Amino acid sequence: MSFKGIKDQTYYEVLEVSHTATTKEIQRAYEHAKETFDVDSLAIYSLFSEEEVKEIQEAIEEAYRILMDEALRRSYDQSHPQTVGGLPTEEPSEAQKVSGEKKTSLSFTGLSFNSEQGLYRGKALKQVRERMGVEPQTISKETKISIKMLEWIEEETFEKLPPLVYLKGFLKSYAQSLELDPQKVIEEYIRFMEESRK
Amino acid sequence: MIWTIGGGKGGSGKSFITTNVGICLSKLGIQVVLIDADLGGANLHTFLGISPPALSLSDFIKKRVSHLREVLIPTAVPNLQLLTGAQDLLNAVDAKSVQKQKLIRSIRSLNSDTALVDLGAGNSLSVLDFFLISDGGILVVTPEPTSIENTYRFLKSAFYRRLKQSVSSSSVKALIDDATDRKNEMGIQNPYDLIKVARGMDERDAQRMIEEIETFHPNLILNQVRSKKDIEIGFSIRSACLKYFGIRLHYLGYVVYDQDVNNSIRRRKPLVLENPRSRAAQCVMEIASKLANSHKMAIRSKGYELQGH
Repeated sequence: MSFKGIKDQTYYEVLEVSHTATTKEIQRAYEHAKETFDVDSLAIYSLFSEEEVKEIQEAIEEAYRILMDEALRRSYDQSHPQTVGGLPTEEPSEAQKVSGEKKTSLSFTGLSFNSEQGLYRGKALKQVRERMGVEPQTISKETKISIKMLEWIEEETFEKLPPLVYLKGFLKSYAQSLELDPQKVIEEYIRFMEESRK
Repeated sequence: MIWTIGGGKGGSGKSFITTNVGICLSKLGIQVVLIDADLGGANLHTFLGISPPALSLSDFIKKRVSHLREVLIPTAVPNLQLLTGAQDLLNAVDAKSVQKQKLIRSIRSLNSDTALVDLGAGNSLSVLDFFLISDGGILVVTPEPTSIENTYRFLKSAFYRRLKQSVSSSSVKALIDDATDRKNEMGIQNPYDLIKVARGMDERDAQRMIEEIETFHPNLILNQVRSKKDIEIGFSIRSACLKYFGIRLHYLGYVVYDQDVNNSIRRRKPLVLENPRSRAAQCVMEIASKLANSHKMAIRSKGYELQGH
């Protein structure tokens, strides 16, 4: 890749994913990019100006919007044929190389999904799932959680949810099937639930 | 191979990592020389639990001994030796290119497979040059704003110095000097702006700079991490460097915060010997095994020559 400014980078380069990245990979890359280029991110401290950060954030949002929409992505690929074979998908393997630990503990991005509320509340989980194009039936099949239960989790129908110990198990499986950080999902979901009950 | 450990700030753990990674490598059967080039506080001997050495690089440079190997200090660890003399080492690097190359050749010709050079937290031109001429530069950072800020300052200096050394036109060299000041008159805010302006002055130099950017791969170790979120900062630093400098930083690994580290330093007994099962020691071993793999690959690679590279 030749050296390019943010405005000249393809959407794939902005998110550091390959042209063949799956929606899950794009979702992960987006979360990583959002966290990296958050104004309070330690990793960019003193390196970028405020304007540069803003420009990068806008590019990330735009890249995510286009690449997560099947039709928009197809049309983008057609108008940008040079993007074929863009960056290699090195993030997950690199992450595992560095962590040197088992996939279950560290392959997750460990980053929060920045929904409007900045939480893994039910509605945010639903949003992520839909953006990935994953049907509740698929999650249900993978996790053995009933579709009704998934609906209650996503719709935040807290009164129908099981005791905490079971709910944590469900959230963990749900997060794993979307390749999100289970610990973070559990923590943030339960925090949101408890705050709503106050 | 010569690895240099620098950047960050004092206390980020460079000497601890140099010593303990060196011991791990020597345990893997690799001949290692630890070189103490920390001007601010040369004390690798303390990390190794030995007395301040009587011989130093100065004895070689002043020709009191005929070969560099004569000033190597043996340690209690098989395959591991120590070379001290920060001031002389950096003076030599700072000196004319011929002397610099001669010293590098002497280090390479030592009967060792790997040299680990602790550069300390300095940011002087000689430190930057040593970082740049080594086979691999390693930055040790802790997940704190001060450490990250200092590391970026060091990286920017090294980056621009590398670019400056690659170009031939004096006007482009002057432009690079200007670019290091964010308030420069040309409005150059980042390396990307610099390349754009340089293109208008000398296309070939601009191309050379891009080549330098593409082949500059410093390494990163995150030290004293306390959470998974801290570990992720390493990946974020990598992404930030790619966006800002256009360089591909290699995240070598992390070392967890561990009270056993402080205890081992106080007792002047290296952690990987004293407490190899501790979490921090395990992290260090993992980093060392990656360096050992690089070492093996370098041996296999036909392009790598012992004399210069």
